[in-house]
Amino acid sequence: MARMDRSPSDAALAHRVAACPSVDGWAAQRRRAFLLGLIPALVVLAAITLAPALYLLVTSLTPLSLVRPAETAWNFSRPWTNFVALMADARFINSLGVQVRLSVVTVSLQLLAGLAVALMLNARSPFLEAVRTAFLVPMVLPPIVVAIIWKVLYTPEISPIHHLLARVGLPVSSLITNPRAALWAIALADTWEWFPFTMIMILAALQMMPEEPMEAARIDGAGPWQLFRFVVLPLLRPTLLLATLFRLIDSIKAFPLIYVMTNGGPGMVTEVTNYYAFIQAFNFSYWGYASAITVIMVAGVFFLSWLITRVVGTEVDIE
Amino acid sequence: MAQKSGKRPVTRRTFLKAGLAAVGAGATGVVAVPRRAPAQGGSAKPYAGTILNVSCWSAPYPKWLADFLPEFTERTGIKVNYETPSFPVYNQRIDLELSTKGSAYDVLNLTFIYTSRWIGAGWFTPLDEFLKDPNRTPPDWDPGDFLSGAIEPLKDKKGVIHGFPWIADSFMAAAGRYDLIQKAGLKMPDTFDDITRVLKAVHDKEGVKGFITENHYGWSWIPYLQGFGGNVFRNPPDDLMPVLNSPEAIEAAEYFANLLRTYAPDGALSYMYDQALNTCLQGRTNYITFNHAWLVQLGDPQKSKVASTVAYSLAPAGPKGRFPGVAAHGFGIPAGSKKKEAAWEFIKWAMSKEMFRRMLVEKGYGSVTRRSVIESPEFKKQMTLNGYDVADLYVKTIELAGKGYMKYRTVHVYPQVDKLIDKAIELVTSRQMSAKETMEWAQTNAIAELKRAGVNL
Repeated sequence: MARMDRSPSDAALAHRVAACPSVDGWAAQRRRAFLLGLIPALVVLAAITLAPALYLLVTSLTPLSLVRPAETAWNFSRPWTNFVALMADARFINSLGVQVRLSVVTVSLQLLAGLAVALMLNARSPFLEAVRTAFLVPMVLPPIVVAIIWKVLYTPEISPIHHLLARVGLPVSSLITNPRAALWAIALADTWEWFPFTMIMILAALQMMPEEPMEAARIDGAGPWQLFRFVVLPLLRPTLLLATLFRLIDSIKAFPLIYVMTNGGPGMVTEVTNYYAFIQAFNFSYWGYASAITVIMVAGVFFLSWLITRVVGTEVDIE
Repeated sequence: MAQKSGKRPVTRRTFLKAGLAAVGAGATGVVAVPRRAPAQGGSAKPYAGTILNVSCWSAPYPKWLADFLPEFTERTGIKVNYETPSFPVYNQRIDLELSTKGSAYDVLNLTFIYTSRWIGAGWFTPLDEFLKDPNRTPPDWDPGDFLSGAIEPLKDKKGVIHGFPWIADSFMAAAGRYDLIQKAGLKMPDTFDDITRVLKAVHDKEGVKGFITENHYGWSWIPYLQGFGGNVFRNPPDDLMPVLNSPEAIEAAEYFANLLRTYAPDGALSYMYDQALNTCLQGRTNYITFNHAWLVQLGDPQKSKVASTVAYSLAPAGPKGRFPGVAAHGFGIPAGSKKKEAAWEFIKWAMSKEMFRRMLVEKGYGSVTRRSVIESPEFKKQMTLNGYDVADLYVKTIELAGKGYMKYRTVHVYPQVDKLIDKAIELVTSRQMSAKETMEWAQTNAIAELKRAGVNL
């Protein structure tokens, strides 16, 4: 309400304020401005992520085969056929089992190796910093280069490792063509490539760890193992869970190693689900079927992410 | 003969002809608008500045062709983006590209195994229009000079040509260390029984493994399958019922897997064609049944450590006969290309008699598909390797394939079955299943794949 005794300039100000939108109105305008600013980015995001995902989903409901596109594209007469067929496809079910085994082994090995190396490198010295950088090399190599390196290492005829072992009287047969060893061979190569990722996450967590709890534990007489078991490890828990989540999701993309080293073989022992989808799409041109496989994979990854995020979230809350 | 230089001399006769033609056109009131002249004709370069995208899988001919590309560009003004990925990568990438009828490529290889599928789906341009027009194809380019067996798979059902073959990939045998076989008092194997006998005698002698072949078993196992009297389909291309679980197929799988298990280098199941060749070039493995285009490199002293000890023979015969594979791959123009005229200029150049002759003389290329070059003394001379008349083996192999046993390979669903066979041989060789179980598995899966592809069985 305007007061009678206020100056003319006050009145003008009050008039301007009255003419302005309310504070709420201003906030709404602000939100709209942000939204307008975001729209181009959202459109791009939708175009490059949501639209292909939607197309994948739609395609999975058709029998699309590129050899017979006229009959099969946009044919929704039996939308669940691919999914029903997948449930009876022994090769697909086998690929899920291979995928689970590979993911469990690689993620476990990467966490263990990453933790061990991070603990060894957790000190401030120029030498260790140089060593840390060297450990990062496998992670920054193109995956196809890693695959070729390991293919050479696993080919007895030309492998320096096989030659060395043979020379000392411990000859080892080809691992990648041995059905009992091939998946382990892939897991080892994958671990070599990706343990630096877990190492660097854990190392960062170690270096940001507060000194006080450890100091207190030492005063209480804790030895190195007790310090690690009861202080360091609980403090690292959220980082380890996060690293597990990242590596688990990434392990499902273990394609180049398999493509170069084993082609999914011998037989189907290293044929993971994405490789099977690749064969269906790129060798057989069954895009509808391959899309259905991929939809199941995407759903699995979402579920896994949701599950682990919940666990991580709980852990972070506890901390 | 294709011209070495890009310019044809203007003789008095051609000058007079051109003048008369111009007068005639003026008299009739018809002004002929010439089609864009072939690039090698005259000093003009009508396609100058055009960029062609060309892709072919990595084999000797396409790889060596890259060395000659600057000459093509100089002659025509056409620039070429050229790539030669590996065989599986090429096929996967191009199968997808062709299905979209995209215009990313202007010249592509027509892979033998995909010819029926790619041509049948209308993904390649019929070349008859180019061939009929003398302005586009001079008579001396001579399409009739190509081996009929090599060009046949590149035609559609009406007989229209969709590509010209740069290779008649023929399956034969070589022994890099034939001296070891001779020392054992034996000769080059001529039958499957001979193979076993020879390998028993020479395997691991002087550290040299006995046997190798490439891990594309949908190609390298089939001559053994047919040699035992089996086949992939019951009666291709009319009856595509798979017969992979026949007693003959089981016997062939067991025999072949035994060769790989017993006599091949450790890890042979992972050997693609380049590795299979290299182990022989280095003298680490002795006997190989493989493709002629690669095997001739064993006789090249600049590449091979076994050039002075190598021997060649026809692919061995089984109890039911000799069935060496022959596969033709050729250059064609994808339907989606927007530069078809320039693409045809490229094909004419790459598939000319002159280019084949130069490939033969300058690079030692042996899988020539032009009869005039094959019948030349140069071919005989170049293809006599360490005293062996490989030219004769090549021609005999192609003649054998004329019997029609390769029909299984150009049916549109073979790519699916091909991959199953790869897996089946791996399963038997690595002892994950018995040959019988494996071939039953292959049969069941082949039927399922064919039904999914819409084949009525």
